[in-house]
Order: sequence, then structure tokens, then C-alpha cells
Amino acid sequence: MSILIKRSKSGCFNSACNVKLWRLNSTSADSALKKGEEEEEFRVLDILKKRDKMQRRVVKRTDVQPDRIDRMATNQNWGNVWPGPKTFHPSSVPLPIRQGYVPKGQAPPGKKANAELMKIPNFLHLTPPVIKSQCEALKQFCTEWPNLLNSEESIEKHYPLEIISSDYCHASPSIRNPLARVVILRVQLADLKLDKHATDKFKRLVGDRYDPKTDLVTITADRCPTKVQNLDYVNYLLTACYHESWNFEDWEKEKTEDDMEYYDWDNNASKRSLIDWYLRVKNELKIMNDEEYKAFDISQIENGAQYKASVSKYMNEGENPQTVQEYSIAVRKLFGLPQKKLV
Amino acid sequence: MSNVLIFFYRRLKNSSFNSSTRTLSKLQIRNYAKATSFPDYYQNPIFRKEDQVKLIADSDLKNRATVPVKPPTVSETSSVYFDPLVNKVINHVMEKGNKRLARQLVEKAFENIKRKQIERYHLASTPEEKAKIELNPKDILYKAVENCKPLLQLQPIKRGGITYQVPGPITEKRSLFLAIKWLLETTDEKERTVHFPEQFAWELLEASNNTGKVVKRKQDLHRQCEANRAYAHYRWQ
Amino acid sequence: MFTRNWKHLCRRYSQAVTFRTSEIYPAQHNENQIGLFYTIKPDLCKQLFNHGGLPKSFMKQTKTFTETAIMVRQPALDIMDCIRASDMNKPVIRYVLYGEKGSGKSLTLAHLLHYALEEGYLILHVPWVSEWLRRTPRHKEMTNSQTKEGFVDLPLDAAEWLLHFKTQNQALLKNCELKISKDYEWSKREKTEAGSPIAALVEHGINRVKYACDVIDALLLEIKILSNSKQCKTFVAIDGFNSFYYPMTRLNTPTKKKIKPEEVTLTNSFLELTKNDWNNGVVVLTIDQLAVPDENQESFLPRYLLYKKGFEHLDPFVPIEVGRYTDKEFLSCANYYRDRLWLRGPSDLETELKFTSASNPYNFMLQCAPL
Repeated sequence: MSILIKRSKSGCFNSACNVKLWRLNSTSADSALKKGEEEEEFRVLDILKKRDKMQRRVVKRTDVQPDRIDRMATNQNWGNVWPGPKTFHPSSVPLPIRQGYVPKGQAPPGKKANAELMKIPNFLHLTPPVIKSQCEALKQFCTEWPNLLNSEESIEKHYPLEIISSDYCHASPSIRNPLARVVILRVQLADLKLDKHATDKFKRLVGDRYDPKTDLVTITADRCPTKVQNLDYVNYLLTACYHESWNFEDWEKEKTEDDMEYYDWDNNASKRSLIDWYLRVKNELKIMNDEEYKAFDISQIENGAQYKASVSKYMNEGENPQTVQEYSIAVRKLFGLPQKKLV
Repeated sequence: MSNVLIFFYRRLKNSSFNSSTRTLSKLQIRNYAKATSFPDYYQNPIFRKEDQVKLIADSDLKNRATVPVKPPTVSETSSVYFDPLVNKVINHVMEKGNKRLARQLVEKAFENIKRKQIERYHLASTPEEKAKIELNPKDILYKAVENCKPLLQLQPIKRGGITYQVPGPITEKRSLFLAIKWLLETTDEKERTVHFPEQFAWELLEASNNTGKVVKRKQDLHRQCEANRAYAHYRWQ
Repeated sequence: MFTRNWKHLCRRYSQAVTFRTSEIYPAQHNENQIGLFYTIKPDLCKQLFNHGGLPKSFMKQTKTFTETAIMVRQPALDIMDCIRASDMNKPVIRYVLYGEKGSGKSLTLAHLLHYALEEGYLILHVPWVSEWLRRTPRHKEMTNSQTKEGFVDLPLDAAEWLLHFKTQNQALLKNCELKISKDYEWSKREKTEAGSPIAALVEHGINRVKYACDVIDALLLEIKILSNSKQCKTFVAIDGFNSFYYPMTRLNTPTKKKIKPEEVTLTNSFLELTKNDWNNGVVVLTIDQLAVPDENQESFLPRYLLYKKGFEHLDPFVPIEVGRYTDKEFLSCANYYRDRLWLRGPSDLETELKFTSASNPYNFMLQCAPL
């Protein structure tokens, strides 16, 4: 009996077929079993016994619900399926998405059991129709856009200060990006109320943050850990520079001609030499002081104005064949010489 | 034995007169002493316009189209004044890869030759004399190198414990090499105050007139070959 | 007889290809002759350029070519036109020749010097300023100035210049109309009295080298006065003028003190001459990258080379660019070289040379040399 139990234990399940087999195999043993109770006997070797067949395992289907995506209607409201930010779920997203790094030549793994897809933040809750409907819902709380700010120019005119910062979305476990803290402030220098001295000083204070081509001052802050702090800092910088540029320090009186950003013809030797030349031509040479030179009206000199313009351009724009050429033309006119003939 | 020598002489002489064009084409082939990055089935580039025209005319282009070609070096240009022999001489003059300096020196020498010859031209009184004067420095170089090329060489061969200087034929390539080498060696035997271009110009002019130290050196070699002709059989035995 | 025929034949041949003009008087040159070569007579050449004035490489060429031929170019004609158009009673006009290295500034100046000589100007020509300030041969004579405190004299250079001045103006100095206005006392025994001719002053400088710098100072002053009083018209030509304004010279005093250009007496004399406080004269200057060390050769334009100080000193001046060869000039030059046996070979050589030399006259000459 013990054998029977053993055998029955080693057998998998009590299916009818199995029991039948078992009985067939043990027909001869049946009598021995009975005798065994009385006396101990050797086990009978059953030579013709057939080998146990491998019993095929029948997969018993568990009662699993079909995928949700198979039951989705094509005209469903997606906003109801995915109402808020959520980790990716393959059964809810009816898209054949693949994601992941694989060796060359293979297709990336599908969406099911794909950790790559679950790691990254998704924006499936922000589809355009959902946004639209949410905006519609929010509309009742909004005020109307001022209709005078209808163009880019008018916006620039009324709101000259421009703050630029960026938000990032990318495949990493953290939704934070270190670059998101950077805040850039941009303002046209012309929009700031500065006089001649203050403009000059402001330019020196901001240094290369001022672009003379576009007349834009660009201040960038990234030293604080959050965006708000950087925004505060940028605003502080602009305010500080603005007020500092209006200050007039004592040492600023020591500024000389060489420190100027531009060449002022009236203060320079060029004007003096022109006047000297003019007076020599008229034989009225006299010794003048700086103030007299500055006050001298050059409009009485023929072609003097053009000469002035050309020298100023020569010095301010820098030396290049074009400016030298213009200077040459102006000087020849001044002296009454023939212009260079083009061959 | 002397018959053999005479035979060499004739053969070499004939070849040297006919093969000036062949020498040139050989000069344009680069055989690398060291291993290069190019496998040996790479073909030498054809960078001269006239060669390319010839290639197209001979319809050899099809055969070459499938074969990989080495890139030409910086000095191998299709410029009008590229000359393979001049390039060779520049390479001989060059030290430590300073080709720029070498080229400057050789060009300066050419300039000196030209100045001297033009001066001579103006001094000459009759048109016949004037016509005789060679004004092109490159032609003078060609002439000088041709005049300096030896036709025979002496090879040391050891027989019975004694080394004999055995006369024998010389390849085209080696004779060109010796000619340029001798020209430069003779140029180097100069006063410190004389500059290389001047001396080199002088040597080239001398050699082109079939006079001077280098030509004498060649003749000396020939004379010794003639004297040692009794040993000629050692080349085979 | 035969050679003459030969020459005649040559000339006829040359005229056939038109790279040569038979007009040897610069004053007669006009637009039609641009790009053509004209020959300066050997004795004239010797008078003008015996003590310098033509670049060294060009001198070598003249020897090989057995003639001194200069191309008639636009800048020189331009200046001649301007000189003719300008009013001599007005202050002198400064013309500044500028251009790339090797574009022919010095040769343009040589052309103008020839013009000035033909027109009867008194010539004050400095062949190369760097020769004084930047070239330091082993025995450069240098002494502290006797008359000016803290200044340095270059007596040998000064005497050489006086000699140059004398040879260039032989004819004008001979006729003795140019008199000195005041007495000059050199030492206890030596003095030049008022009323003696300029030639005496020059002679004194050449003979008594010690006073050469002071003599130049006096001479330039006298010439200014003479020009103002219309006794002569003066042509000032200075090659490598920007050397005067480079912050440092290569000169050292025996005590190893570096000398600035403004501490040299010659500098001051010639800078005084280039001011526009006199009239009846012409001032032509060239500024050259070669006159300054390599590290300050970034640009060839006047403001960069003259520095602020030099620019203000000259302003207003007429800048005149000496450029590269035009196509016509290049072709004519190539033909000239072919005629002079300097260039030979196939005609596509020209196209290649034009490309490799970028039509720069000096580079072109250099690249033709080994061909």
C-alpha cells in the first residue's frame, strides 16, 4: 500500500488516464501486494514493462482579461483614458511603440514589460484636444488680451524687458534639468533712460554683454540653484548697473580723449591741422588755444565738412581700403586736386 | 677581354643617348626605401597634363581606372615649370627634409646661371656667338648631368684573399645618382665665403661645357676602368 | 655699325609688342603710356641714384638688363597731375605712397624723382630711412649732439646724405643763386657767413663730418626759407618714412641705452621739413612695411604704419595706393622680361606666374628668376 501511495504521490495529478495506466502496470503486483502482508517477498522484475510516457503538461489557462487596448473604441475620449500624469502603461496606450537599445540589426523591444518606456516622463495626458478643453474650462477665469498689444512692436514698446528661460523634457529618471535654472534678461539699451555719460558708463559696466550691432544688453544668471533666485538676481543686476551708471564719481573727471569709445573730430589734432592749413592759405596764421580751436567754425572752409566726416569715419570705423579711399577723395577736394583717374 | 669592355661601352653609349626620355619617366616613379602606407599594387600617380593626355589617347585610362593610385607629393605638380630632374636635384640638396631651403638654393643657382649667361650674351659681338650661348638654366642642368654621368663603374670583388677593383657596367639609375652626387660633392669643396648657389652655378656651367672637376672625376673613373680591364673576368669567375 | 643696327632692330621689335615707350621725359607721360617701360639715361641714373634710391634687387636687374627701365604707372602719373594742378603758393601738399610689400613704391618714387629733376626742382631725397635708424653695421658712428641737449648725431650717415644731395642737385648748386640768410658759427675758427651759397654749406658738412648733422639742420631750414621766397622750388622725397614713427630704433648708445627715433637729430630735421608750414614745394613720402620689424607688419595702410603721432603729423595728406599689376601692366612686364631674355618658355607660363605671384611686381620678378 505504501508503494501505491508513493507512486500516487510521484504521479502528477489524478487524472483518469493516469490512474488507468497505473493500474495496468501494477496488475501483477496486485497479488504480491496481498501476499506481502503475510510474508516478505522479493519484488518482481517486470521485464516487459513499458517506460513511463512523459506526461504532457496541459497548460491551464488562467482567467486573464483581454488587453484594454483591444477593447478601446476608436472614437473614445482619450482624456478619460489618460487623465493625468502617469507612468507608461502598455495596455492603456494603443500605440505600437518600441523603445530601447539593441545590437545593430535588431528591432527595439516592444512596449510590453519595457522599463525604458516606464522610466521616462511622458506627456500623454497633454494631447492637443485635452489642452484645448482644459483651456476652454479655464477661460472663464481669464481676462481679455489687451487689444492694443496686437503686434510685436507694440509689445516690445510697452514691455521692453525680455526674460528667457527654458524647461526641459528628456529621458532621464529625474525630471529636473540643471539648465532650467538659467535665466536670461534682454533689454534694448535705447529703452533705458540714460544720458550720454550714463550710457557710456553703462556700456563699460556691462562690458561684452552689450552688443553694439543690435543695441541689446543681455544679462545671463546661472549661479543660483533655482530659476526664481536667478530671476531675482538678473533683475538686481540690471537695477544696480542702471543706478550705478547714473552716479558720477570724482575720478571720472580724469577721463581723456584716448578713453573715449569714439573719435571726436572736434577735440582732435586733425581739426587743428585743418584750421592751421586754412589760415596759412589765407595768410592769417595766428596762435590759438584749445578752446578757440574747438569753437572754430569749419563751415567757412570749403569741403571742410566732408573732410571732417571722412576723418571721423576713418578713425571710428577703423582703417580699411574703403575708408582710406574716402579720406583720399575728401583731401583731394579740400586741396582742389584732381581725383584719381580710374583706368 | 677588351672586346667585352668595348661592347659595354657601345651598349651603354647607345642607351644613354636614346634613353633621355626614358630616364625622365623613371625619375617620376617613386620607389620607397622604407615601407609606406601604400601597398605595392598602388600605382604611381600621373600628375603631368601631357602624360594624362597621352594616357587618354592610348586609352590606357580604362585599365587604370580600377587600380588604386598613390596621391602625388606636394612637389609633384602639374605646373608649367615642374621638372623631374630639377626635383631630383633639389631632393639631393635637401637636408633633414628642409625642402623649402633646398628649392631656394637650387633656384638661386639657376638665377646665377641665368645672370651669367645673359651677361655673356650681351658681351658677345656677333649673332653666331650669341646663338651659341645657352640661356636656359634647366637645359644647362640637363647638359651638365648628362656630361657627368659615368658609363662604367668599379666594383670591389674579393678573389683569393685580394680585393680587386673590377670594372663593369652601370645602371642608368646609379649613373644619374653618381652624376648628381659628384656635382654636389664638388660644390661643397668651396671657400667658406662663397655661397652654395654661386658655386653650384659655376660647377653646372663648367660641367655643361664638358670641363671642370666633375667631368674630370668621371674621366678618371673611366681611365681606371680601362686600366683594370685585366680583372674584368673576375665578374664571372 | 652692326651693333647699332642690332639695337635699332631690337627697339623696333620692342615697339611692335608695345611694352616700351620712347618718351624719356616723365613730364610728357600720360595715360596712353600706362604699363609701358621707359629708359632712364645711364648718366642721369648715376646722378640720381648713385648713392641709393633704387632697391637692391632692382639694381641687380638693371645690371643684367643693361638698362634702367621703369614702368609708367598710374600712381606716379596721378601725383604728377596733382602737382601740376596744385597752387604752389599754398602750403606744401604731402603725398603718401602706400601699398603692399614689393608693389613698387620705391620705383614710383624714382619715377617722380626723375620728373622732379627734369622740372628743375631742388631735390631732397632720403633713399631709405631705415638705413639710418634700423641698420646697425658693426661700426655705426654715433655721437651725442653738441648743439642739442640729449640728442644723438649720426655724422657719417649725415655726410653721406649731403653727398647724395650734392650729386643729385649738381646743376642747381652750381649757379650760386641760392644764398644763406644768416651766419652759422660752427666753432671758433669755422663759420659760414650769410650770403654764401648753399653749396658752401654742403661742402662744409662733407668735409667736416663732425658738423654734418647740424649742417643738415641748417640746410633744410635755409631751403625752406628759399622756397618760401620763391628762389627755388623744392621736391622732398623720403622712402620708408614710417621708420621715423616706429617707437624704437635699433641704435644703442655706448652706455647701452636704447634710442628712440625722436632723439636722433636727423629725425627732427626731416620731420620739420615734412610739416606744411612752408610753400613752393612738394613732399612725397612712402610708407613701407619693410621699414619696421616683422611683428609690426600686420597692415600696409597709413594709420597703422604711421601710428597716431605720425598720422596727426601728416594730416591732411593725400594717400596714394601703389597696387598690384593690372592685367595690362602684367602682360607688358612679361613681354619686357621676354625681350630682356629674363623669361622664356611657353606662353601659358604667364597665366601660371600671374596666379602664383598674385600680380605682385616683386614676387613676379622673383619667380621669373630661376625660369
